Amino acid sequence: MERTRFQSFALYAGLTVVCGILLFPIYWLFVTALSTLAEIRQLPPSFWPAEPQWSTFTKVASERPILLWLWNSALAAIGSVGLSMIVSVLAGYSLSRFSLRGGRSLGLFILTAKMLPATLLVIPLFGIFRSIGLIGSLWSLVLAHATLIIPFTTWMLKGYFDTIPRELEQAAMVDGCSPLGAMFRVVLPVATPGLAATALYAFVLSWADYAYARTFLTNAQGSWTANLGITTMKGEYVTDWNEISAAAAFIALPILLIYLFLERYLVGGLTAGAEK
Amino acid sequence: MAGISIQNVYKNYGALNVLKEFSLEIADGEFVVLVGPSGCGKSTMLKILAGLEPASGGKILIGDRDVTDLAPGDRDIAMVFQNYALYPHLTVGQNIGFGLKMRGTPKAEIDKRVREVAKILAVDHLLDRRPKALSGGQRQRVALGRAIVREPRAFLMDEPLSNLDAKLRVHTRAEISALHKRIGVTTVYVTHDQIEAMTMADRVVIMRDGIIQQIADPDTLFARPANLFVAGFIGSPGMNFLRASVEGGRLTLFGQTFDAPAGSRDGEVIVGIRPEHLALGQGNVTFTVKPTLVESLGSEKYVYFEPGEHAHSATSRDEERGKGLIARIAHAGPIREGGELLLSFDASEIHLFDAKTEKAMN
Repeated sequence: MERTRFQSFALYAGLTVVCGILLFPIYWLFVTALSTLAEIRQLPPSFWPAEPQWSTFTKVASERPILLWLWNSALAAIGSVGLSMIVSVLAGYSLSRFSLRGGRSLGLFILTAKMLPATLLVIPLFGIFRSIGLIGSLWSLVLAHATLIIPFTTWMLKGYFDTIPRELEQAAMVDGCSPLGAMFRVVLPVATPGLAATALYAFVLSWADYAYARTFLTNAQGSWTANLGITTMKGEYVTDWNEISAAAAFIALPILLIYLFLERYLVGGLTAGAEK
Repeated sequence: MAGISIQNVYKNYGALNVLKEFSLEIADGEFVVLVGPSGCGKSTMLKILAGLEPASGGKILIGDRDVTDLAPGDRDIAMVFQNYALYPHLTVGQNIGFGLKMRGTPKAEIDKRVREVAKILAVDHLLDRRPKALSGGQRQRVALGRAIVREPRAFLMDEPLSNLDAKLRVHTRAEISALHKRIGVTTVYVTHDQIEAMTMADRVVIMRDGIIQQIADPDTLFARPANLFVAGFIGSPGMNFLRASVEGGRLTLFGQTFDAPAGSRDGEVIVGIRPEHLALGQGNVTFTVKPTLVESLGSEKYVYFEPGEHAHSATSRDEERGKGLIARIAHAGPIREGGELLLSFDASEIHLFDAKTEKAMN
């Protein structure tokens, strides 16, 4: 059905408003980072600084160990994504393909871990990590994030594997693959969009964590993640909001770049079930 | 190439018995079709043969080798699936060569054989394309190519034509038959389409509820069906069935009494008359009907009529059809619906089935 001119106008107007609402925080983050403290506090606010303070970014990068924090965040995220994907690919594939006694209940039971708030798990996890000497180590974050990520990614991947015809693996097995070989040579390459979408989701979950980092990492700045480090930039009497915003922009940048890189896989991942 | 021996294979899913004591000897190079309605166990049998499903019991030999417990890849068979099952992330060439690669064939040898097979199947210009860029017919040919490139001991085909449109199906059917004649590999083909079964098979295995109903060549199936199910399943349009009784070797039908075919016994019977055995005008047994519907196919007409007060339709197939009995009249002139029409049949061409056991009597 063709749209009338009014419908097109309404559609584009609606989309513009929604995009505006979604993009405004990012825009405001950069405006704050580029403004002087006086401009930040002025009323009415200015929507673009008179003289953008690009030096704020270099100042933050040189005066704070922001790059080290980003590196720590990246290590924790890559570690937890790696661990989560290994577990959830195998678990999701098994739940999708094998009918085990009680398999469905087991699958649902995995999800119960996702029903618990992260803060509730902090105390038992702290006890476990302390007993095995992981407090202060990034490994504690890798393991803790994996406990949050795996239940959800397992179900995401199970849903994705369900859309891949079993005949593909059967054909591969007739062609000479073992069941595991069929999974690695055929199912996983076909599932690339789903894997990319799931990995990105896992990465964002780990990257955005604060509560676990605050609890498990010690007071030594060198082991902090970016989200933890940025909170220390707020002073008791003076807070440089432009520097905090510049640091926040540094933290947001990797996620934006990853989104841009994986975008084609993500769209493919979302629409793959629509075609047979 | 090799023959296949299936010995007393059965399959249970819990208490559900989907395949019952299936035994079949397939000669080297033979084309055998398993046919039957949905849920009859034909695809399960094929998967057991391929090693994709374990049998609950029984034994399978390919050639002299017991393959019952071997993995699919160790059975030296190739399979063509209903939905082609082409690997979407690989090119046509890689798809065809995948099985050879898995068996460690040198790359140069793979390239050579892939090109040879692609040429046979007329897909040699598509070798660098992905499956999604192919038409249904081309995908089907690539799937066939993937099967034949390995030169396996047997081909298994699971309804490979059911995703094609009617015209392409007829064309590909002939291609598969020609391919089988050319390479002569033992083939087990599963379909629910009796026309495919009849046109392609050396022998047809008709199944129902996990039990073999009859194993025979297509002509025998058509001429001497073993039971009511086979008689109704084979032939298009399906056989007409009428309830009748035999007394003293004489059968009464359409108000007329005549000698029952040899082999019949006195008692309740079901009479089967193929639509093409009904002819216009006077004959051995003649009766008058009022056509309720006439369908013209150009070269022939399907004339539907009610059996009338002297005969009673016997099976649910007629109810499914909803139009009573049917006569298939070749080269007929105009036939008026509702008017009187003289039809006849030769008493020697009718089939008699025991009303209780449904087994053929003649």
